[in-house]
Amino acid sequence: MAIDSSASLPLSWPRRHPGKLVLLAALALLLIFGAPKSPVFAALYEWSPALAVGFGQNILISLLAIAIGSLLGLLIGALAVSPLWITRLPARIWVQVFRNAPWLVLIYFTTYVFPFELHIGKSWIAFPDWVKVTIGLALPASANVAEIFRGAIGSIPSTQWEASRSLAFTRGQIFRSIILPQCFKRMLPPWMNLYAVITMGTALASLVGVHDLIDTAQIASNTVNLTGFTVLIYFSVLALFFAYCYPISRITQFLERRYAFS
Amino acid sequence: MSHWLEWFVQWTAKFGLNYSFLLDAYQRGSMVNGALTTILLCLFTIIGSLLAGVALAAMLTSGKAYLAKPARVFIEVTRNTPTLVQLYCAFLVLNMLLTQAVGTANPLTPFAWVVIVISLHKGAFHAEALRAGIEAVPVVTLEAASSLAFSSRQLLWNVQLPLAMRFALPSLINNLIDLVKMTAVASAIAVGDITYASIMIWTQSDNVLELMIVLLAFFGLLSFVVNCVGRALEAKLRMPGYGH
Repeated sequence: MAIDSSASLPLSWPRRHPGKLVLLAALALLLIFGAPKSPVFAALYEWSPALAVGFGQNILISLLAIAIGSLLGLLIGALAVSPLWITRLPARIWVQVFRNAPWLVLIYFTTYVFPFELHIGKSWIAFPDWVKVTIGLALPASANVAEIFRGAIGSIPSTQWEASRSLAFTRGQIFRSIILPQCFKRMLPPWMNLYAVITMGTALASLVGVHDLIDTAQIASNTVNLTGFTVLIYFSVLALFFAYCYPISRITQFLERRYAFS
Repeated sequence: MSHWLEWFVQWTAKFGLNYSFLLDAYQRGSMVNGALTTILLCLFTIIGSLLAGVALAAMLTSGKAYLAKPARVFIEVTRNTPTLVQLYCAFLVLNMLLTQAVGTANPLTPFAWVVIVISLHKGAFHAEALRAGIEAVPVVTLEAASSLAFSSRQLLWNVQLPLAMRFALPSLINNLIDLVKMTAVASAIAVGDITYASIMIWTQSDNVLELMIVLLAFFGLLSFVVNCVGRALEAKLRMPGYGH
């Protein structure tokens, strides 16, 4: 069982997986030296800067979306745990609506309902599609962050509240010096998981015409028009997303195990 | 019927919403067809994903490395890549190769590809939930069952899965609600689901906001139905002293 392997002396990763390492090295060597001979790999090499720019767009959208979503989500989460029902109700509605709507529908919503240009003062400022997609992803992100925040506060044993109240802490003091410092540790794994999910959600941006990784891949596959290249480029896109999201999910698992008993 | 629709269109017009597409027989028909397609898509993928989930969970907990390793790799790849990219890899790449191999006799429609891809995608998530449930079955129960000469298949099917189902039901329902929302991706490869029908209508009539409200209400309703069925199932299957 799993317990046996963790109880034995921990080996470093390369020594535990020699086969995988050899396979990776062989693949890298094949890509570097074996590639330029075939037209398919030459085309991939030629298109790789464009793909990198496209993926950069995906990552930019995901980072901005999680930043906006976290700020908004913490605010809404704070409203959701307040003792007043008048602030709780709008927060509950916000969370329910944006957690239960399909992300694709929200992205279409922000793309088509928001204006193409913003009128600020006397000047018109362009409102590019990728910003709208970012907002479209930030909305469900904020609802999820709010739920993560509410869940983290709810997971603190109520005895801590009672103990600190008996020590004459005010509600604000309890939050600042007792509850919140523990919450951030508990929120980190689900928050990172949410970030990975949002990164995968940025793939939807191509459907509303943002020049992201998938859009670039489609253009490339139509331009080069070779069967082998089409196969290669779509699986490269898959591999790129995997290479970005898999480490995040591994770190999340590691943190979950580490914080599980503390 | 048409009387009520007219009344609805006039009533919503007071709020500045343009629902006049409901009075057009063709557009109304495509919307109803889209809704039916989405419901059908949900039904097929729910069944398919549960089958895929059970198969993957069985492979994971089989204790045989040649079954567990590929299942683990498949689950990790599926969980860490976007559904849309998987759909493109399947529909644009595998479907193209299949068409080149068998010509126009290709039996797989876009609808079938969406069912396959989303089933396998959500199956990976189901498998993780079921695996946790299977591993939570007490060892004594397993020993008792094997002392009664259960084969490993009987053990899985008659002892582990029924218990794992109860343990994993909340997260399975959660996955299924996610699945319902995920079917909107089908519009990306021109399956005529409700999202695709809405896109077709709003490109002609420029009434995005009105259709968005319909879409959100429709998906909200579907998620609500799945949630209610899940709650009912949970209550029906509850075993005293197990889970919860």
